[in-house]
Amino acid sequence: MNWFIKQIRKEEWSPYAAGILLGIVGILTVVLTDKVLNAPKLLGASGGFENIAAYIGKAINPSNTYFNYVMPPGMTFAVILLVGIFFGGMLGAFSSRTLKFRTMDDEQWKMIFGKRTWKRWLVLFVGAIVLEYAAGIAGGCTSGLAISGGMLLVPAAFLFIAGMFMSGIVTALIIYGKRF
Amino acid sequence: MSIILPLLLGVVFGFALNKAGLTKYHKIVNQFRLNDMAVLKFMLTALVVAMLGLYPLHALGVINFPTVPATYVVGNLVGGLIFGVGMALAGFCPGTCVAGAGEGKVDYLVPGILGFLTGAVIYGLTYDKVFPKISAIANYGNVTLPELWHINPYLAILVFTIMALVLFYLIDRMGMQRKKK
Repeated sequence: MNWFIKQIRKEEWSPYAAGILLGIVGILTVVLTDKVLNAPKLLGASGGFENIAAYIGKAINPSNTYFNYVMPPGMTFAVILLVGIFFGGMLGAFSSRTLKFRTMDDEQWKMIFGKRTWKRWLVLFVGAIVLEYAAGIAGGCTSGLAISGGMLLVPAAFLFIAGMFMSGIVTALIIYGKRF
Repeated sequence: MSIILPLLLGVVFGFALNKAGLTKYHKIVNQFRLNDMAVLKFMLTALVVAMLGLYPLHALGVINFPTVPATYVVGNLVGGLIFGVGMALAGFCPGTCVAGAGEGKVDYLVPGILGFLTGAVIYGLTYDKVFPKISAIANYGNVTLPELWHINPYLAILVFTIMALVLFYLIDRMGMQRKKK
């Protein structure tokens, strides 16, 4: 029991241990949604943002195809999943006593981009737009496509992962230059 | 149940992301610098575990598979290529940003989440001009690799598992990882 509490309180686990937990969540998601909701579903994150954004999108263009027929507004499974992920992050930080309101908490970021908060906010805002748009084109993000698709051996997931690693490495090389 | 279930699944998912350290900028970007392989180890381990659970459960008739994500070669690949740029730039992805926001990271909570919502609005409003064209190229529909290539899924899982284990061995024992600077 002491061992268990010690593990829970650790700030960081071995990626293998955390990966096993994620794999189990992946299995449980399919099993429980199939058994309890009679509609098997997958984990995902980018889709939830689309269901929320649909409220805004429909206000801008009421006859828009996407927000009427593909991703309509609503408190869907994906949206509630996002709320859960939020509290999961909170629980994790709470367990390791690192839960705290903070900005600019990454030393490596400061080394590369400097100490200005507005610069970080701008890069994160633009980066998030790029990520969400890309997830739309690809049909999902790291969770909804790479993990959820990959665990069912879907070709799309492996194409996505390959693309993501290739351009991620090139982008890091450009940003870090000699420090890569 | 339709609320409690996704909430609980999300909590464990977010908890795993936190414990894996993926809610940190340097953890994500150092994967792309190839001097911290945690993201790759985390993802591949999750994939292997989930494959080994889901396919046998399906074969035993315990579960039905959900509709799988659609494969349209160019769109999946181009989407991944753009995604990698954003991920190496911001150091998060949609899931890790939300989990990080829950940890109290205001940088993730405000510009991060607002950015994802903005991106989703822009995508939805331009969907008609982009998606039908790109998803029409080499579209195989909602298919899995074993179905597409007519191979035994367990053979595919075995090959994938061996590849993952070999990669883990090369990283951890053979030092196939760049030195930290």
